[in-house]
Amino acid sequence: MASTTEGTATAGAQPFDIVATYNELLRSDPDLTMPIAAIEALVLLLTHEPSSTISETLDLLAKSTEHLKKAIANPIGLSAGTDLFQRYLITTLQRPGQLGPAGDFKAIRTHLLSNGRLFIRRAKESREKITAFGRGFIRDGCTVLTNGGSRAVASLLQKVADEEGGSFAVRFNVIYVLSSISKDIEGPSGEPEGMETVRALRAKGVPVATIPESAVAYALGKADMVIVGAEGVVENGGIVSRMGTYQIGLLAKAIGKPFYTVAESHKFVRLYPLGQYDLPIVQQVVDFKTEEDIAQQSKPQAPVDSNADRPVELPLEDSVDFTPPHLISALITDSGVLTPSAVSEELIKIWF
Amino acid sequence: MRRLGLRHAVGCLWHHFFFRDSTLSPHQAIQGSTERPSQLEIESSKMTDPVDSVPTSSPANAPAQPAPATETPSQQTLPIRDAKSAKPKDPAQTDKPAKGKDASASAGAEADAAAGEKPLSPAELKKKAKAEKAARRVKEKLERDGGAGAAGGSAPAPGQPRPPATPRKDAAGGGAAQKGSKALPPRRGSVVGAGAAVEQKKKKEDKSVAVFGHLYGQQRRTTIAGAGKEVHPAVLALGLQLRDYVVCGSSARCVATMLAFKRVSLIICHIYYWKVETNPPDLLRLSNPTLHQWVPRSPRHMTTHLSHQITYLSTCRPLSISQGNAIRALKLAIAGIDPSTPEAAAKATLCDFIDSFIREKITVADQVIAASAAQKIQGGDVIVTFAGSSIVKQTLLLAHNEGKQFRVSIIDSRPLFEGKNLARALANAGLDVQYSLVHGISHAIKDATKVFLGAHAMTSNGRLYSRVGTALVAMSAKERAGGVEVPVIVCCETVKFTDRVALDSIVVNEIADAAELVSANPAQQVTGLPDPAAFTAPPKGGKPAAPIPDPATSDRTPSPSPLANWKETSHLQLLNLMYDVTPAEYVDMVVTEMGSLPPSAVPIVHRMSTNM
Repeated sequence: MASTTEGTATAGAQPFDIVATYNELLRSDPDLTMPIAAIEALVLLLTHEPSSTISETLDLLAKSTEHLKKAIANPIGLSAGTDLFQRYLITTLQRPGQLGPAGDFKAIRTHLLSNGRLFIRRAKESREKITAFGRGFIRDGCTVLTNGGSRAVASLLQKVADEEGGSFAVRFNVIYVLSSISKDIEGPSGEPEGMETVRALRAKGVPVATIPESAVAYALGKADMVIVGAEGVVENGGIVSRMGTYQIGLLAKAIGKPFYTVAESHKFVRLYPLGQYDLPIVQQVVDFKTEEDIAQQSKPQAPVDSNADRPVELPLEDSVDFTPPHLISALITDSGVLTPSAVSEELIKIWF
Repeated sequence: MRRLGLRHAVGCLWHHFFFRDSTLSPHQAIQGSTERPSQLEIESSKMTDPVDSVPTSSPANAPAQPAPATETPSQQTLPIRDAKSAKPKDPAQTDKPAKGKDASASAGAEADAAAGEKPLSPAELKKKAKAEKAARRVKEKLERDGGAGAAGGSAPAPGQPRPPATPRKDAAGGGAAQKGSKALPPRRGSVVGAGAAVEQKKKKEDKSVAVFGHLYGQQRRTTIAGAGKEVHPAVLALGLQLRDYVVCGSSARCVATMLAFKRVSLIICHIYYWKVETNPPDLLRLSNPTLHQWVPRSPRHMTTHLSHQITYLSTCRPLSISQGNAIRALKLAIAGIDPSTPEAAAKATLCDFIDSFIREKITVADQVIAASAAQKIQGGDVIVTFAGSSIVKQTLLLAHNEGKQFRVSIIDSRPLFEGKNLARALANAGLDVQYSLVHGISHAIKDATKVFLGAHAMTSNGRLYSRVGTALVAMSAKERAGGVEVPVIVCCETVKFTDRVALDSIVVNEIADAAELVSANPAQQVTGLPDPAAFTAPPKGGKPAAPIPDPATSDRTPSPSPLANWKETSHLQLLNLMYDVTPAEYVDMVVTEMGSLPPSAVPIVHRMSTNM
């Protein structure tokens, strides 16, 4: 709130709502990931707000980022983007030369904006790179088990399927785990997340089986590998991903199947969860109730005090879990195929 | 029989060295042998001393044997016995040549006085020596317990102030050996005792645990006697504090070392520039001849001078990883000073460097670590910690001040009891503290939700090198719930990172005095008089090396420990390790000032922090 009112004060007529922009960006482009949407929103913010000094710019960014994180229920993905952008700005500004602190701020600003856009374009291209790296993992005759609505996984599978009939004729099967709680927001209502990918794969001639989450252990015997997407890759190499990924990881480990994660490197986030309940989000997955509680809940509730400082609760269908690094065989990213322990190395490279 | 044979062998060796390269007059040597009987008599007459009434062959069986600094006649037997038990253990064979020289050097004056007897041919000399040896052999046989060797006839040792130290430690003379000719007084004593050395030495070797044999290297220094005169008083004091665990803990040792070196570097700068720039008048130089020793002639001498201090410190207690890293940084800073820099500026540069090093690498780093580690503590947590880590203390206090409600369970271990300090500090601050020793670990870990550990070092393969027992705590935490629900968090400054690799706790470790395990009474200081701080502060886990020189303290012991004379008990070895290695799998997170890392990221961060 604070930053928007301040935005109004500085920009005058047109207030810039970063939260609305972020949500709008995500809605308009289904291919856009959360970190990229956040970066794009920040770039738009910079173009709208006439800041004249470096410190003012950084201050504005910090405030807007804070505001955005508070307003969104699951800020893990977007914080990866905002942190990266902020870091990028600072390193650019610290560099000596024309664009350094001594240079003309106008030039710095235009440079920042153009580079920000370049950054976004590059990030979007990273999925191509991932496909290039991940192609080798899917071999002729293998069966892949996957879940959720990850666009990176979908694009990887579809690219591999596209090559069918070409020089690399890969025939593979997919077991798609459909969640009973996660509903696809964009798609037809009531349809579980991932149905769109299932249809697309089937259209390309890939045999797809859909199973409920309860059948994962049963079906894993038929799978050769597990490939999942991630919302964020944390510092110890674990992933924050759609609810249900953790249990697939545990089962895959128990059965001895490789568990691969597909994620763009801009999803690496400076976060170190120690367990499931150490994530910076509020979600009521385990909710104990008695009959009395249910009766009380059904009554018309008093209007909840809309305190802006209170973190927004993540709805059940968007809930996430944390898969620890020891369950992950490898991370397929646009900077190569990494072991979980290499993630922290990549992150440190970015941050220092 | 065998012992006798061995003694004979060493006796030969002794003579070999003693006479071969010495300018010492044979008269002197013979006089030594003639003196012996009288002292022996003194000893045998006192043999009825209740402590020693059993005429065993071993002289060192008297527990808690005081070795007073001044040897009054009434106490004569004790010092002699002390000498007996102490000196023999000297690694005689290796040190002999140097010793011979020392002895000769100091004895030179006396020898010159009796110059008339000097011209003896080597053959005669040998003959005399043989005769003397035979005489002594007979004497020794009579004496039965090898006391003869200890009498130290030729040594003017009784006159010298023998430090009130544990005989065993003093014995090896390893520390003194490094000091070259300056370590004269104790050395000389040891030479004399060499006759009996053999059996003692053999015994001592038996007492080192074979697997860790390579760690027994040198005994720790017990006194500042024999320290080189280059060693700065501040460093001398620090050495003893380190040795007595008064300054204990990786960070504290690092800071204390840097502060001592700050004082040293002031002097180095001073002398160095005085010489180079102002060229002191000859008169002044003559009036203070020792100054020559101090004057470094090139910038390299500054590091050389520093290395004297470092050598001294390492003889008091092996240097910690953090100390090593700090010293490396300091040497780099010294090397970076332009020789043409004016004195004041150079001093200021070095002092600034040391100050900022302490501030950046320890003080501020600790604050950052505490702040980020405290975030991991949530209301209702039960935090288990091991021994007493200053950074863990800071973290827990910070979390408490933030209003979080949590319990702390401290697991402690003998013989240092470092956790007592922590328990008191936390309890005083109002935290709920549970204190148990390491054997109660399965109970303590039962309701733990998080484990916080301090570190001595983190190795490049991500393993934690910390106070012995840490691995046990980490492993118990992981064992309990399949390794997911009880996270093990290590708080560690990057100055404690090392590029070494540790695969086990055997190859690299530190062995403390095994006698620390024996003493039943709470830890006391060994060197010097009882420190008032040691009584006001809770026991610092001091070093109660076996015989405590202060008679008062030994009186305090109501009943001696059953292990009191473990050195004489055959088939019994004591092992007092200082550190162990926790595998990386048991560590979930390393909190450093550069962020939280998985253990696997330690080498990367170490590389970055040293390159910067």
